[in-house]
Amino acid sequence: MVLQLKDVTKRYRDFVAVNRLNFTIEKGEIFGLIGQNGAGKTTTFRMILDLQDTTEGTITWDGQPIKSVSRDFLGYLPEERGIFPQMKVEEQLYFFGELHGMDKNELKKDIDFWIERFDLEEKRNVKAETLSKGNKQKVQLIASFIHKPAFLILDEPFSGLDPVNMELLKNAILYLRDQGMTILFSSHQMDNVEELCDHLCLLKRGESLFSGSLLDLKKQYGKTKLTVRTDKSFEILSNYPGVNHVKMERDSQAVLTLEDERYAPEIFDLLSNGNYIEKFSLDYLSLHEIFKEKVGAGLV
Amino acid sequence: MSKFKVLIKKLYKQKITSKSFILTTLLYLVVLSGFMFWSEIKDLIFSGDADTIAVVNETEFDIAQVLQDTDDVEYVYVESGDIADKLKDGDYYAAFTLSDADGKLAAKIESYDPLPLNDQQDFQSALSQAGQLYAMSQMELSPEQQQLLLSSEPVITLNSLNEAADDGKSAEEKMAGVWVSYAIGIIIYIFVASYLSMITTDVASEKGSRALEMLLVSVKPEVHFRSKIVGVFLVALTQFVILFGGLLLLLRFSDGGNKWSIVTDLLNSLSISYFLYIIGFLFLTIFMYLIIGALFGSLVSKVEEAGQVMMPAMMLTLVGFYVMLTGMGNPDTMLIKVFSYIPFTSGMVMPMRLGATDMNAIEPIISFVLLVVTVLTLYFLSLSFYKRSVLTYSSGGIIEKMKTVFKVTT
Repeated sequence: MVLQLKDVTKRYRDFVAVNRLNFTIEKGEIFGLIGQNGAGKTTTFRMILDLQDTTEGTITWDGQPIKSVSRDFLGYLPEERGIFPQMKVEEQLYFFGELHGMDKNELKKDIDFWIERFDLEEKRNVKAETLSKGNKQKVQLIASFIHKPAFLILDEPFSGLDPVNMELLKNAILYLRDQGMTILFSSHQMDNVEELCDHLCLLKRGESLFSGSLLDLKKQYGKTKLTVRTDKSFEILSNYPGVNHVKMERDSQAVLTLEDERYAPEIFDLLSNGNYIEKFSLDYLSLHEIFKEKVGAGLV
Repeated sequence: MSKFKVLIKKLYKQKITSKSFILTTLLYLVVLSGFMFWSEIKDLIFSGDADTIAVVNETEFDIAQVLQDTDDVEYVYVESGDIADKLKDGDYYAAFTLSDADGKLAAKIESYDPLPLNDQQDFQSALSQAGQLYAMSQMELSPEQQQLLLSSEPVITLNSLNEAADDGKSAEEKMAGVWVSYAIGIIIYIFVASYLSMITTDVASEKGSRALEMLLVSVKPEVHFRSKIVGVFLVALTQFVILFGGLLLLLRFSDGGNKWSIVTDLLNSLSISYFLYIIGFLFLTIFMYLIIGALFGSLVSKVEEAGQVMMPAMMLTLVGFYVMLTGMGNPDTMLIKVFSYIPFTSGMVMPMRLGATDMNAIEPIISFVLLVVTVLTLYFLSLSFYKRSVLTYSSGGIIEKMKTVFKVTT
């Protein structure tokens, strides 16, 4: 166990931003904090970063109150992109490294490595304000971990990135995890969370709806997503036993949401009628669907 | 290197190498050089353009001993005749017709175009002196008597009966004090306005670009706050040293070193304690406004709002500056006395009182202590507020922003 939040609450006069939040992040894992805008993710990050005080509860790192630990073990990429516009890329990275107590000689090798890895060689001596949004994001990401923090917090690291840069960033995050870095990140893009996270916490209006492994979350819903290829009509499929919802897609494909996975064999029999069937796939709901189900419930 | 030093190094390097810093420093140096070499520049531009003044002397008095040629004016003595035509043609700039009026000198000044105020004053002054000598010449005095009259300034000794008060300053000392205080007032105003703007914009820019959030992960808000104030203060100090050093060099070497006597005269007429007070007031006032600037900068959400939030502080400096200007005419008014105790204006006003008035020694000490206490109080209050405001983003005016900070951080 490395980071632990225990009954953490943040209250502003008559508004509760985070209410009795509990989760634990193990060393070297990637943990996702997901929720809608205003769910309390950034407030939680700021409390972990000691930029805001908790109203109640404790946050510890390796058993020590987070306030008593040197700040250099932390790296942070804020949600809003921002670097010093007038500083050159390389100068900027040296500055953030030095700010965390590293000297130039130590930094040189790592800066060269990351500049090359993120394809920023040509931009090395360019002022940050002239960079594209994607390149700015890459520079800011490098700046957040150039001092090799033990714990890295990434707030919406993928927002606004094209698929190529997104892949680059994902690979970098996995590389950092493999180097032993513990990573906490938030994202609205559930496929990224699903791809990267070992564990996650689902927030809704400051309350934790779930905290644990992704598989445990999926198991709560069971294998209720059935994808089939058939020429049967919407009406016929809707009348099959245990079917809650049917969505017709292209290429004669339909996605059925079942009440329970035990209805699947019966539906298989009805669909195939003893004949060959091209596609019949029963799976867990995607995180995106669970998120909509859990967090979207009760919302208009 | 400590985080504090890293932050100061970055800020200092960035500001010192910025185009705006280099250009404004050069501009100030050019303006100072312009003042120092004004007579040479004037000669260069206006050389050979001495105005010709025709003098028609209808008296027996030798007026040429009074109206002597200068670089700007050349007198020609003529008989009355075609003066009007020559004035119209531009051969003469002006014409004096001098005559006797019951033992007094009567002078008629003619010109084709109305004379500028400066020339009017210069001509009146020259003719007034001529009038005095003319009156003396009518008395048929001996040369010794004339000399006695010409050097008849009274010997004045100032004596204050209040034993608690210091000996009064001479008029020369007070005039020197007025001019030095005026210069100090301008320096404080320019420096406060420039560096208040610099620190407010800098904090606002870091906050607006969200770079501040990354910084505050590594450094505590109080370290960041202190680094901004000290960093910008060092930039101000650097510019001050460059300009002051430049001024001293110009005084030392311009005009063949003749202007250096201005410095030595000033040093002779003003006390060491006066200079110490001035340096204290100057630096403390700049520090105070830097604290206010950093605090205001932390309130805005984007750099475009920086101008709006720094307006109240700019108004305070303007008030101080204008009150100080009123003291140029009379530094003993109640207005000057009151504002010399208000910490936001005392830096500009108290040096004026110190240099140009006779005051009890305790008064500047009270004003200085008030300023020190205000700076310290502002520092700790601002620091406490800065920690809350620096990551709070809100819209509206300055009061609304402050309310939002309290609302979302308590």
